[in-house]
Amino acid sequence: MEVITLYGPYLLISGCVFGFFMAWGIGANDVANAMGTSVGARALTLGQAILVACIFEFAGAYLAGGEVTSTIRKGIIDPTLLADSPDLLVFGMMASLLAAGTWLLIASFNGWPVSTTHTIVGAIVGFAAVGISADAVSWSKVSSIVSSWVVSPLMAGTISFLIFRTVQNLILNTENPFDNAKKYVPGYIFLVGFIISMVTLLKGLKHVGLTLNFQESLLYSIAIGIFIALIGSFFLRKIENTHQVRGDVVFDGVEKVFAVLMVFTACAMAFAHGSNDVANAVGPLAAIASVIQSGGDIASQSVMPWWILLLGGVGIISGLAMLGYRVIETVGKNITELTPSRGFAAELAAATTVVLASGTGLPISTTHTLVGAVLGVGLARGLSAIDLGVVGRIVISWVVTLPVGAGLSILFFFALKGIFA
Amino acid sequence: MRSTSFTDLIKKSPFGPIQAHMEVSKESVKELILFLESAIDSNWDQASKSRKIISDLENQADALKAETRGLLTKSLFLAVPREDILDLIKLADDIPNTVKDISGLMIGRKMAIPLEIAPSFILFANEAAAIADAAAEAVDYIDELFQFSFGGNAAIKMQALIEKLDSLENKNDQSEINVRAELFSIEKDLPPVDVMFLYDIINKIGELSDRAEQVGHRISLIASR
Repeated sequence: MEVITLYGPYLLISGCVFGFFMAWGIGANDVANAMGTSVGARALTLGQAILVACIFEFAGAYLAGGEVTSTIRKGIIDPTLLADSPDLLVFGMMASLLAAGTWLLIASFNGWPVSTTHTIVGAIVGFAAVGISADAVSWSKVSSIVSSWVVSPLMAGTISFLIFRTVQNLILNTENPFDNAKKYVPGYIFLVGFIISMVTLLKGLKHVGLTLNFQESLLYSIAIGIFIALIGSFFLRKIENTHQVRGDVVFDGVEKVFAVLMVFTACAMAFAHGSNDVANAVGPLAAIASVIQSGGDIASQSVMPWWILLLGGVGIISGLAMLGYRVIETVGKNITELTPSRGFAAELAAATTVVLASGTGLPISTTHTLVGAVLGVGLARGLSAIDLGVVGRIVISWVVTLPVGAGLSILFFFALKGIFA
Repeated sequence: MRSTSFTDLIKKSPFGPIQAHMEVSKESVKELILFLESAIDSNWDQASKSRKIISDLENQADALKAETRGLLTKSLFLAVPREDILDLIKLADDIPNTVKDISGLMIGRKMAIPLEIAPSFILFANEAAAIADAAAEAVDYIDELFQFSFGGNAAIKMQALIEKLDSLENKNDQSEINVRAELFSIEKDLPPVDVMFLYDIINKIGELSDRAEQVGHRISLIASR
């Protein structure tokens, strides 16, 4: 208690700084995965991608980031168990941020494929189980999170496989692919708008003062979907069935139609990424802030301060604006094989999966979801060659990241406890 | 410096180097025509130059074959069965090899082609070159085929390409019979060993067009799976 009253403001400010830098790191590194696909497919230029990412990452973080943030904040550990020692919760969350930041820094210097989500979850479980007690961890929640890490790539893969199959049957394998593309692509655009707004309206908007029931959400989502599809149709009208050179890639008419669709899926992907990954940075911060602002009173009912998501959103887009363009460029250059007709299927499947996870408050890895989605397109024979060895490397990084994240946060936790208490 | 891995998932298409290989094969068959023309004129200086080019092209083709095989690592999941790709490159690689054999054999023995059969001989070789061209066209078309998921119009167009290839090959078989018949009618007046080798060269040119046709068929098989 004393620690909170004595050092409260300092702890809060350093929590904000750590949280902001985590968000900054996510913006600089991870957003590239969401946007690189579209840049690689030449559906967006680099500048357009940055702009789209800034707007939709922020919107995703602010409008739909609440559920996952609340899981990180009070779902993995039960804060009410810490009512007697709120300072431990503050130290632990601080330690988790430090641990995740350190591990991600080490990993990106070495080029290891490490997930921010796995690191932060491992860190929180680590400090809670070892630093406090094994009972403090809500193991049922943790196991549902861990199983979502297995389910999400599988789900994204299945969806992308099915989406690409419909593309094959409705458009590519027909006598007149170009006309059919123009006919059916607005339908896919509708789907993009509908899914994203449905999940967001159902789950996310309480904190901006909008509460809708299921039927209202459904109705509004259909309206938004139709509206977005109309915007898409407007751009589609101008496209002619001629070849076009973009960068070093030649586009025929059909791919040009899909490139329009991919602009929409890129927005969806950025939104989905923002909604899920902002929590990795600001979830711990939200826990710290609520303890300190209430003067050490852990009331798990307290609502999350609105500025937390704002801080996370700003952190992500500033990282993106400062360093993200370079990473997006690199990612984009590496995946020219993923043409718009393939890339959109992967993006739509991944965005759907991630947004659904965000709505249910499950922190998942966007990158792994994308891996699953790309595999799905590959299994539908949409990609000439995919390397299954990557899947093995991901599993290894998984197995390593959890204990390392946990170990580091235990270390930081006892260090902080030693300094302040 | 990147903590991502999903781009590592997507690998380059193994068809890229196969297409380059087919271009090289096409070039080498073209050069063979120049070589044969020089041989008919008994211009062995010029023929040696062509022979040098053919040999260089064969080296390039070998490198591309190795590159194709190098791309097909064990962990890859391919849109097309690995065996089909390996078969394709093996068949395709016979083309520059056979061209090199023909030119090597002819230059080593300074083989003169009897003027009586020269016109139909050159026609026969030119037809083989046309078959190689058509096969290369089919191999090039694999990109389009892949883009449209091996179906629809792309598959129909591929079928047309293969039919064209077959009709060229039929014509070429007839030309082979003609050349042989012409050679047969004059063979009594020629040194027997020379005649033996001439038949061998005709065989090898026939083999060349067979291989090119097989390449086309392998592509259509890949397309129909």
